[in-house]
This record gives sequence, C-alpha cells and structure tokens, in this order.
Amino acid sequence: MTATAQNRIEEDVWIPTSCGQCYCMCGIKARRQNGVITEIEGNPEAPSGRGSICVKGIASPHLLYDPYRVNYPLKRTNPEKGLGVDPKFVRISWEEALDIIVMKLKECSERDPRGAYFQATTTQASEIRFGVIGFMKGFGTPNYWVSGGGLHCGNGAHFMNGIMHVAWSIIPDFAHCNYALNFGCSKGHGAGHVAVQNATQAADARFRGFKNIVFDPFQSAQASKSHEWIPIKVGTDGAMALGLVNSLLNEHGIYDAEYLMYKTNGPYLIRPSDGRYMRDKETNKPLVWDLVDQCPKVHNDDSVTRVEYEDQAHDVALTGSYNVFGTACQPAFALLKEHVKQYTPKYVEEVTGIPAATVSRIAREFGEAAEIGSTVTIQTSKGPKKIPSRPVATHFFRGTQGHVNSGWTCLSVDMVNHMVGAADTWGSAFGLGAAVGSGYEGTGKPYQVPYPCPDGLLVARTWVYDHVPYPMRVPKPPTRLDLHDMFPTSIYNAFVITNPRWDEILERFKIPYKPDVMINFGSNSVMTMGNAEAVTENFLKKFNFIFSFQLYITEFEEAVADIVLPDACFLERYTPAVSFPSTFSHPQGEDDWGWSIRQPVVEPLHERRDFNVVMLDICKRLGIHGKYYKGLNDSIGIRYGGDMDEKYKLVEDGSVDHTWEDVCDRLLKDRFGEEHGLDHVREKGVFTWPKKKEDVYWKWFNPSRVPIYFEYFIDSGEQITKLWDEFGGDDFFEFDWSRFKALADWYPCPTHTETAPEYDMHAFYWRAVMHCNSMTQQNPYLDECSQEDPYVYAVQIHKDTAAEKGLADGDNIWLENPQGHRVKGWIALTDGIEPHHLAVAAVAGHWGNYMPVAKGKGTFFNDLVEMDLPHTDPLTFNQDICCRVKIYKADV
Amino acid sequence: MTTVAQVNRTKLPPSESSMPRYGMVIDLKRCYGCYACVMACKVKNHTPPGVFWSRILKGETGAFPNVVRQALPVLCMQCDEPSCMEVCPTGATVKLDNGIVIVEKDKCMGCKYCMMACPYGARYSVEDWESYFPDGLPLSPYEEFTKQAWEEKSGVGVATKCDFCRDRIAEGREPACVDACPANARTFGDLDDPDSDISILIKKYRGEVLNPEFGNKPKVYYLAPR
Amino acid sequence: MNPKVDGQLQSDWGWWVAAYLFLGGIGGGAYTIAAVNWFLGESVSAATTVGLWIGFPALLIGSIFLLADLGTPTRAVLAGMKPGSSWIARGFWIISAFMILALLHLYLHTFTDIGQSAGGRTLLNLVAVAGIVCAVGTMAYTGILLGASKGIPFWRTGAVPVVFVISALVTGHFTIMLIALIYPGMSAAAVQTMSLEAAVLVVLEVLAILFFLQAAFRTPDPRESALRILRKRSFVIGYFLLGLAVPFGLMLIVYRYMTVPQVSGYVMTASA
Ligand SMILES: Nc1nc2c(c(=O)[nH]1)N[C@H]1C(S)=C(S)[C@@H](COP(=O)(O)OP(=O)(O)OC[C@H]3O[C@@H](n4cnc5c(=O)[nH]c(N)nc54)[C@H](O)[C@@H]3O)O[C@H]1N2
Ligand SMILES: Nc1nc2c(c(=O)[nH]1)N[C@H]1C(S)=C(S)[C@@H](COP(=O)(O)OP(=O)(O)OC[C@H]3O[C@@H](n4cnc5c(=O)[nH]c(N)nc54)[C@H](O)[C@@H]3O)O[C@H]1N2
Ligand code: SF4
Ligand code: SF4
Ligand code: SF4
Ligand code: SF4
Ligand code: SF4
Ligand SMILES: [Mo]
Repeated sequence: MTATAQNRIEEDVWIPTSCGQCYCMCGIKARRQNGVITEIEGNPEAPSGRGSICVKGIASPHLLYDPYRVNYPLKRTNPEKGLGVDPKFVRISWEEALDIIVMKLKECSERDPRGAYFQATTTQASEIRFGVIGFMKGFGTPNYWVSGGGLHCGNGAHFMNGIMHVAWSIIPDFAHCNYALNFGCSKGHGAGHVAVQNATQAADARFRGFKNIVFDPFQSAQASKSHEWIPIKVGTDGAMALGLVNSLLNEHGIYDAEYLMYKTNGPYLIRPSDGRYMRDKETNKPLVWDLVDQCPKVHNDDSVTRVEYEDQAHDVALTGSYNVFGTACQPAFALLKEHVKQYTPKYVEEVTGIPAATVSRIAREFGEAAEIGSTVTIQTSKGPKKIPSRPVATHFFRGTQGHVNSGWTCLSVDMVNHMVGAADTWGSAFGLGAAVGSGYEGTGKPYQVPYPCPDGLLVARTWVYDHVPYPMRVPKPPTRLDLHDMFPTSIYNAFVITNPRWDEILERFKIPYKPDVMINFGSNSVMTMGNAEAVTENFLKKFNFIFSFQLYITEFEEAVADIVLPDACFLERYTPAVSFPSTFSHPQGEDDWGWSIRQPVVEPLHERRDFNVVMLDICKRLGIHGKYYKGLNDSIGIRYGGDMDEKYKLVEDGSVDHTWEDVCDRLLKDRFGEEHGLDHVREKGVFTWPKKKEDVYWKWFNPSRVPIYFEYFIDSGEQITKLWDEFGGDDFFEFDWSRFKALADWYPCPTHTETAPEYDMHAFYWRAVMHCNSMTQQNPYLDECSQEDPYVYAVQIHKDTAAEKGLADGDNIWLENPQGHRVKGWIALTDGIEPHHLAVAAVAGHWGNYMPVAKGKGTFFNDLVEMDLPHTDPLTFNQDICCRVKIYKADV
Repeated sequence: MTTVAQVNRTKLPPSESSMPRYGMVIDLKRCYGCYACVMACKVKNHTPPGVFWSRILKGETGAFPNVVRQALPVLCMQCDEPSCMEVCPTGATVKLDNGIVIVEKDKCMGCKYCMMACPYGARYSVEDWESYFPDGLPLSPYEEFTKQAWEEKSGVGVATKCDFCRDRIAEGREPACVDACPANARTFGDLDDPDSDISILIKKYRGEVLNPEFGNKPKVYYLAPR
Repeated sequence: MNPKVDGQLQSDWGWWVAAYLFLGGIGGGAYTIAAVNWFLGESVSAATTVGLWIGFPALLIGSIFLLADLGTPTRAVLAGMKPGSSWIARGFWIISAFMILALLHLYLHTFTDIGQSAGGRTLLNLVAVAGIVCAVGTMAYTGILLGASKGIPFWRTGAVPVVFVISALVTGHFTIMLIALIYPGMSAAAVQTMSLEAAVLVVLEVLAILFFLQAAFRTPDPRESALRILRKRSFVIGYFLLGLAVPFGLMLIVYRYMTVPQVSGYVMTASA
C-alpha cells in the first residue's frame, strides 16, 4: 500500500463510528484513503462529542496499526505461570484455538458451569453487554466482574448515584450552573464519562462566568481551571461534605424546605426505638406529619404530595417531634440535622486540612448561589411549566470514592445538593449519563422513566446491571465465587477472591465448585486492580485455564493466559449499542438523544476477529447459542429500556443461526422501527431524536422521592450479619457492620490511622488526559505527548518536601507502603500539591515485554494498593486507593 | 458570547475582503491543556518524532496553596514581520498574500538560520525520517502513509513549520487544531475583516500577542486566562 | 495577562558550525595579520608568508564544515539569493570573495616575485586592502549572524561582532606565532614585531570581552539569556575557549621561548 499523490485520490472516504479508547464512546469519523485509516475526527452528528474528540481518539490510527498488536491466536507453551514468567507463546490457528477453548469449556460445564468466570475491561463497556452477559446466561455462570473497574471507580459512586439520581454518576448542569464544588474528579477537564462533551460544556461555562471550586490534593487540570483550588487530604471528602451540610443547616440555616418536604424522605417519621419508618397500619406506608391538618398522613397522600412544582399541597414537618400511635417521633430530616452537628468546621479542619473558616464560607457561598425559591419556566411537551432553578452542584467521582469510606462519602457529597434542592432541575446536579427518557416517539423505546417504590423512593427503570440499585436485593446464601449474593450493597468485591485463603472461604460458605475457566475480555487486571503479586498468586493462578481476548499481550497474558485471541479493536467491529444504556455515558443536558453504534472502518486486519462474533461462534460450537439468544433477549429490557418485541426477538430454541450483524440489526429495528436498522444507522453512525425538557429537568415531573435517611441499610445490615454469622465469616474477616445504618458518617482510611512516623506521605493517582488506564502508553503519539508534559510520567512532590528529604528534581525514588510493597518513580518538583502528598498518573509502569513503547514509562502505583478487607469499604466494597508511604532515593 | 463559542463548529466563515489576512485567537480561559490541538496537528501533518508544529507549554506560578498552572498553546505565530523570512538566504521562507508564512521546501538548503531567528521556536528540521516504533519492524501501512505524506509535503534536511493548514483552508475547512479543540479555545479567521469572530474576540477581550518586544507582529492572539 | 515564551535557541547549529567559527576565525585573523605585516615591510615578510599559508586553507576547511552543517548541502548554491536581507547570503558572498583574494594573495606572494617590481607591489597592496576588508567582514559576520536570533537578546548586543573580530585576530595571530616557532625563515625582527602585536591584541581582546559582557549584562533580559547560553550553548563556549585559551596558551609558550636569546640568536645565524 502506498500513498503517493496520484493513487491517494482513488479512495478517500469518512466513515462514522464511535471511539473506543475509553468508555466515553465519542462519535467519530474515520478517514480511509486507499484502505488505510489516515485521520480520525469528531462526528458532529453524534451528541457524544458533537464533532470534538480528545487527544487519545485523534491518535487512534496507531492503535489500529500498531505492529505490536496481537494478530494471531497464541498458545502458552510454558506451563509455569506468574509474574515475570516467559509464557513462551506460539502461534496457532483459529481452529486449534477454538477447539481447545470449546473442549475446556465443555469439561468445565461437566464439572460445574459456574466454574467459568468472565473478566472484562470497563473500557469496552458496550461490548460486554452482549458477548459477556449472553454467554454467562447461556453457559449458566453467575461469575463475572470488570477487573479494576467497580473497585476503583464504581462500587461507591454508581450504587449511590443510582439511588439518588438513577444514574452512574453526577455532574453540574454546565449550561446553567453558576457555582459547583468539584470533589476529586476531572469531569469537564479530561476524564470521567462523556469527557469531551463535558469539556466543551465546562469551557463554555467558564466563558460564561461559572465558578468551579475544586477539592483536590494537587493542581489537576480541573484545579488549574478552577475559580478556587482547595487542597484536601486524600480520603477526607466525606468529612468536608458533612461539614458543609452541617454548616448549611445549623450555621447558616440554609435549606430548601419545599424540596425536602416533597422530593425526599426528610419528612418521614422515624421510630426512635429501631430507627425504622413509622408506617400506616393498613397500607404499611411510611408516614409524614401534615402541619395543616396536624396529623400523620401516608407519604403519597394527595394532600401532602407535590409531583410538579406548581402542584399545591400541605406543608409537612421537617423538624420537631410528633406523637404517632403513642410514640414521640421525629422526621428524618430533624435527625440528620442533629446528626451532622458533630461535623463542626473545626473538626473538619482537623480531618481535611481545610481551614474552618473556609468550610463555613464555602457552605455560605454555595447556599447563596443556590438561589433557593427561584424558578424558571421551561417548554415541556405539556406546555410551559415552572420549575425550581438551583444553579449550584457538587460533583465527584474516582478520587472521592476510592476509599474505605466510599459509600457514605459518595452520599455525603451528593447530600449537599439535596439540602438545597439542587438535583436534576435547572442549573443543578444532574445524573450522568442522561438517565431519564420517555423514548423515541416512533416506538416509545428506550423507555427509562423512573418510578416510586411503595415507600415512595426513586426506582430506576433501566440499569447497566441485571439488578437496579434500589430496591435492594435480599441477601442470599452465596453461590458466587466472590460471595456477591450476600452483599446487596456491592457490585464487585476483591477482598474475597484475592484472599490467600480463598479456597477455605469457598468451602466455609458452601460454594460447591471451584474457579475453573477464566474468560478475559481485555482487562489487564494484573495491573489495574492492586498489588500484582496478590492478584496473580491468590486469584488468577487459581484458574485451570484462562483464555483472553486482547489487542496486546499485556502483563496479564504474560503472567497467566493459556490462549490469547487477537481481538478486533473498536475500529474493526460492529457494536449495536454504544451510548446506551444512557445511564452510563450519554451526554446530559438539552442536546438530543443519540444512540450510537460501532462499525468496522476497515475489515479486521491480519487474523483478528471481533470478540462478539467469536463468543457467538463459541456458543454455537457449544450448542448453547439458543440460551445465549435468550440471555440477550432477557437482558435487553433492563439495559436498553424495554423488552424486545416478539418480531425482533432472537429465536431462543436455537433453530435460527443468527449472525452478529443480525443481532445488531434486530436490536436497532426493535428500538427505532423497521426502517431504522443497521443499514440506516450506519450512514451517520448514530440515531438521534430530541430530548423532552421534562426528561432533562425531570425532578419536578416525577412522583418519586430520594432518601436522605437510609432506613433500608439497617435491614440489609441485619440480614447480612445474620447470614454471615451462620457461616462463621468472622473466622476470615473482621467486618465493621456499623456502616449499615441510616445516617451518613465519615470514616478514616488506614492512610489516616497509620502511626509509624516514617510513612509520612499520602500517595494517590490521577488521570492524565492522554491516557486511558493501562493501554494508551503503548501508543507512540500519546507516549511522546506524555513526555512533553512535565508531570504525566513523574511522581509529583512539593518542592519543600523534596528539599527536606534531600531530593532533587528528576531523582529516582522508591515509594514503599507499610506492608513493604514498593514501586519506583522519578520525581517532579512543584508547588501545586499538598506538601504531604504524592501524585502518580494513570496505570503506568508497564514491565511486560510485548508493549515496548509503554514499557518502563511512569510508575506502577497499584502495587501499593492492598487487596484486603482493611483497605475495602465494608458497605460497598470499593477499594481504598490512597496509600501511606515512605519515600527514599533509588539508584537509577 | 455563545455565538462565538459556536463558530468553531461551523466551517470557515467566508471573509469580506477578497484577500484575507489569516490569524488565530487562543482563549486561555477556555484552554485546559488537553493536547488535542497538538495531536490534531501531528496527525494532520504527519510530523515525525520530536516535531511539534503545535505545542503546549505548561507553566506554574505562585506558591502553595496559591498556585496556578497554565497551559500555553503555541504554534507558528505567522508573523507579519517574520524574522525567519528576513534571515532566509535562499528565499525558501516566504509570506503569502494571505499572511501565511511558509517554507518552499525545494528552495530550502537546511541552514537552520530561520530556526535561530524564530523567537517563538516554531520551526523544526529533521535529518532523517524515523519510525515511531522501536526495533525497526517493517513500517505499518499507517506509518508508510505518514512517511510519504511527510516527505511529499515537508521532508528531511529542510526547515518545517506550521502553515496554518493552508491546504485545509483551501478546502474551506478550519485548521486541524482549531477544529479539534474540545474547549473551542481556538478561533481562526480574517484579521482584516472587522466582523470576523477573531477580530471581535480580540477587540472585545483585548487579545494580546506573545512577546511583542520581538517586533515580529504575530498574527496569533491570546485571551487572558482569568 | 502577559504570557511570554522565554527565548530559546532552537537551532541545531552544532560542532560543525563551532569548528567553522574557529577555523574561519583563524583564517580571517591569520590573513589580516599577514596582510598588515605585509605593509610593515620586508623585515616581517616571513610572518606574512606564514599568515597567508594559514589563512586560505583554514578558511577552505572551515567552509567545508559549514556546508556539512546544511540539511541539504546540494542546495548550497542557493545560499546567496537574498543578500538584501539575509546575513548568511551576505556572508556567502563575503567569504567567497575573501577566499578568492586570500588564494590570489597567497599565490602572488609565495609563487611569484612580483613583490620585487613596483607595479607588482601596488597590485599586492590593492589585493591586501581588499583582502583585509573581506577578512574583517568574514570575522564580523558570524557575530552579526547571531544577532538575528531575537529570542536571545544576549547575541544582539552590538559588541558581539567586535568580539568576534578581535578574538579571530588573536587566534589567527597566535597560530602564526606557533608556526613561526618551527618555521626556519622567521626573522628575529618578525618575532619581535609580532610579540608586540600579540601584547596589543590580547589587551584588546580582554577589553572587548569586558565590554561585551558589560553590554550583555546591562539589561536583565540579556543577562538571563546570557546565563542560559553560557550554560547550554556548547559552540559558543567552545568558541570563546578556543578564541582565548588557545592564544593565551600559545603566548605563554612563545614568551618562555623568547626569554632564551641564544636560541633566537642561533636561529638568526642559521638563517644568515
Ligand atoms: N493506578 C491506577 N489504577 C487504576 C486506574 C487508574 O487510573 N490508575 N483506574 C481504575 C479504574 S477506574 C478502572 S475502570 C480500571 C480499568 O481497568 P481495566 O478494565 O483493566 O482497563 P484498562 O487498563 O483500560 O485495560 C484495558 C485493557 O483492555 C484492552 N483493550 C482495549 N480495547 C480492547 C478491545 O477492543 N478488545 C479487547 N479484547 N481488549 C481491549 C487493552 O489492551 C487493555 O489491556 O482500572 C483501575 N485501576
Ligand atoms: N483521560 C482519561 N479519561 C478517562 C479515563 C482515563 O483513564 N483517562 N478512565 C475512565 C474511567 S475508567 C473512569 S472511572 C473515569 C474516572 O474519571 P475521574 O473520576 O474524573 O477520575 P480522575 O481523573 O482520576 O480524577 C480523580 C481526581 O481526584 C483526585 N483525587 C485523588 N484522591 C482524592 C481524594 O481523596 N479526594 C479528592 N478530593 N480528590 C482526590 C485526583 O488528583 C484526580 O484529580 O474516567 C474515565 N475517563
Ligand atoms: S474521550 Fe474517550 S471516547 Fe472520547 S475520544 Fe477520547 S478516548 Fe475516545
Ligand atoms: S485543544 Fe484547545 S483546550 Fe486543548 S490544549 Fe489545545 S487549545 Fe487548549
Ligand atoms: S513564528 Fe517564527 S517561524 Fe513563525 S513566522 Fe514568526 S518567526 Fe517565522
Ligand atoms: S533552513 Fe531553509 S528556510 Fe530556513 S533559512 Fe535556511 S534555507 Fe531558509
Ligand atoms: S494550523 Fe495546522 S499546522 Fe498550524 S498548528 Fe494548527 S494544525 Fe498544526
Ligand atoms: Mo473506571
């Protein structure tokens, strides 16, 4: 293939599709000149990005053509596994690879199909929902997780935001918000969901005068663009947030009574004896106190209910004490108001390092900027409607929730919004991605309007997982290898599967099978979860057989994979649903809905094959494709807003041999009508339709409330402990059950309780815009870009701290945690970091031999991340990702 | 204001004057140092390792906790009085009627005098084309393409620099770096047209050029970061 | 706001150019000294001979180094296109002219005896004068050349060309002295005269350097760049070293030698 001026004009086309170098999935157009992809641009048709993409997306031709990509199936010939072991991979044919895999899976299914364990990368979130989910249901295994994913970035945030906003995350309504508190996330500044769209919105907002107050230990991109940067000690955001709530309620007396009365469970009357709701005798519904009629009413009695803002209703009690059925009880809000009094500005200062005066000042500024009582009129499909304008928001993500206090910290930070009614209304904190939609009018799908449970609380209609975050699952005796069934408040957990006594634990909890065959789709869990040794020895090496779909031979494949399958990258395959489920990563705000897809911009190169095509093939070879189809049919409903019509359902008896493209086509036709199948959507790469304003600012159009008092956590806690004790779980783990309670609190991390004086530094990680987790360092354009940047490959340290320790700019140092795990890096001196902190970027420090560009760049932070219960949030099982370390000079 | 935000999305606004004087405005308040412009330029112009016609300089001012980091995107300033051109002995460096300063590669003998003379460090010259990948593997089809494209347009042993994407402009497209900027921080247009977005931005927000003391009369303007 | 890029020498001018600067210096210097000595008359004509023998070859090699630094040497012929604005273009012509004159002078002086005839002498006078002009041009021009780098105010102080000329003269001069030591034809008169010149030149050089540094450090901006350059720019440092240290080294040797009259006497008798 040459590209001289003459034959360059033979072919020159732009093909619309979706980027896949991170999970933001921006719409792109790939330019193909004579069969070679030469340029990638944003696709203006796609709401995700609207024509802009990030540095990674632009650099992606190198991902497609990297000579170090896996291009043929490989077989491990060295039986030994482990870190630093040479796998002695040899090239084999697809037939041989599939024969081996099918044989291993058959054996596994004879032993016990549940021994099959699916591990996937978050980065390819949209592919997971087919090949992974369909296979699991077809094969009959419940065991699955997205490696580092939930543990670092999701267990806390997704669970809590799901409860409060039926969304994956939260973000300010950049278009109208005036004042935001940014806790530990790069939203609008390079990372997060919908990263590019948010960057555009955030820039427009800055231009408009929007103020972003950033809490971050170092001068991150967002801090550098902020109105005010407030350095905070890692892991203490929860204390700061509760301090703000206290300051708002008890110091400045600022809160949105209307909102709390009708949109939260703040008025629900609580029984002092056991902290449960006071319930109506016959309906069993929670009661509120009607201040007009001076009597208890069920929460959704018309006289005390306001669905829309202009509805009329009696005031209900938020404070005070009332006698119900002979018991004196208080509204939940009153309890909260009292509870948070312990979070005085002075206490907050001690914990977070933020001056007490700043705490109450920020609370005041936030409260005033909320303009409580102000309204705007919007044009809904039912005509003009008045809704509250609350142009303030707190938002947070990875940095805030990567701690042992994850769950409550996430709730606390969001709680600040709910105190002033700044949730899912004009200018306020929005769920991210866009969660609420009444569907494309042609079909009414995807239909994802949340609804209230009998207790009146917000229930998501669609979700990324099989189970919505609320109402909570009832804990069951475990059947999963990570005991997940017992723990309804978690998504995944690592502390069980990486425990050295995993086998004993499984026996004790009466799990009748063992880890057997692992299927890996992309994840590099050796690097992305935590201490590599623990992950490899205690977890990965327990599997008899591991095959992995990959683009590269990563540290994972090198260490433990028996077979590596050359996957097609995002530019070489079909994916029918990319920006949906929209709860995950769809742009919030007034812009259109966009259902985007992926399509090959070139046929898979070499012997690469699309993961989803191969999984379907494997299912056919196993004769379980019928069940696979059924699995997909069943899972579509909750994820994509409505069950498949019979007409488009995949044929479940296996009599029809659907191709992957057929699967894609049917899903699209089912959502958007016969004329809008794959061929139609391919033309623009995305199917768009207008968003209704009442779906954007949905709070005051939906009859549901959100909890500020988590009564049902108490029940969960009791149910779990009961089971736990039956199995004698205490022989393995010391659980802190006190976390299962109704009111938010802040809890210290091991980082904060460490006493040994030499461990005087807090290490944490951040995301550089040019890297997505562990893959992009192999892209030479992005690698070069990183070297241009003063910080991306460095360990940032305050210059005075360095001076005290006799360290100079560029010195090589060791970071060592109290457990004796240590990693190497070189330091960059700066004033832009809290003096007791060390900042490390990305999942770097590759040592594998098959990604030579990435090898040795940056620092492998995760070796410092301990994979045990003390470093896990007992409520959500989110991992603790701040590390107390000592540092000392390393010879080159 | 928002109209200004939007223009970057549209194609190049047609300019009043028959012969425009092209310039650029970079709004440092919008810019968040994301390197998209750097990468867009690299991919558009196939610049080999070490060559950045579009760059981000990152600086830090103040002392903790009153510190600010600022990204400063730089490119060829397309000076109205280009010292690079002044010193060029062969006449390879010329200023076009539309104000764009270019290198005519066939006239360049690679003396690098222009590189000495450019106070903005906007010029690069490579002795040999190098692959981006180690170990001298066979070039990927993409690298084959970039190699040929580079050698056709710029080449080795000669001075190279940003040419404001004149080929894109010819097609009515904006420069790659402008198009790519997610923050709409970069605006391109005709300085001679008082109604062009950039003229308005410069006037309304008091755009400044870098190091006016050099006396090069740059045509790239910056808007204040705060 | 007032964002600034800080002046940075982007050029890849490397050791080739450094070498040229040195050789060009020697060449220009040696020739000038030679030509001047020519006017001082017969007694120092040996010094002239040596100077001329150094001047042209040094220049020739220097220019080859210069070419070697070009990215596309094949286009060197284009170098003279823009003498109107470009100092390299001007330099191209000056050096070319100078090389021709230097070569011519060398030829006439050493391979012909036109020096005997009155007419020949005037011709040589003309050549010498023209030669000196071009030589000074050559020595000054690199200094002016560097003045073009706006990013680095350091270079832009008017003193630079002066320094370049003088240190070139010093270098050239002492190279002659060095050769003179082993050149039998050297007369005591010549050596004396040249030692005198040496003293003068070294004083001038030191003055020039002082003047230059004072100029460079006058304003804060240049000071910064001065420091940066002095730290970073190998070829500048190299230049000053060679321009100064070498001559001083040579001077020491020469003076030590001069303090042993017998030997010089011996040289004389030998030549007599
Ligand atoms: N130090 C540190 N650790 C972290 C993080 C961090 O920022 N820093 N982030 C944490 C978070 S929030 C998360 S979600 C996890 C993410 O952890 P992972 O899910 O492991 O995500 P990546 O590191 O992006 O790994 C993606 C892997 O999938 C492969 N891959 C990419 N695209 C494809 C594809 O199309 N097909 C196939 N088959 N493979 C593909 C890549 O080669 C790469 O090996 O990491 C967590 N760990
Ligand atoms: N460019 C890029 N984009 C990405 C990804 C990527 O790797 N690169 N990964 C994708 C994935 S998987 C995810 S989960 C999202 C994550 O997106 P974000 O949640 O925005 O993750 P980060 O950019 O790491 O932002 C975390 C910030 O919190 C700060 N921080 C660390 N610890 C603390 C703390 O205890 N308190 C506070 N207040 N701040 C703290 C860090 O310095 C960092 O600036 O991004 C997604 N998008
Ligand atoms: S943000 Fe993620 S999806 Fe969007 S262009 Fe960048 S890498 Fe691709
Ligand atoms: S693309 Fe825009 S925002 Fe990003 S660095 Fe360049 S100018 Fe700044
Ligand atoms: S910035 Fe440098 S290269 Fe560009 S025109 Fe000005 S002087 Fe020439
Ligand atoms: S390198 Fe080329 S463009 Fe630059 S001055 Fe020399 S000849 Fe002119
Ligand atoms: S205008 Fe074109 S050539 Fe110049 S910096 Fe931007 S992209 Fe690069
Ligand atoms: Mo994540």
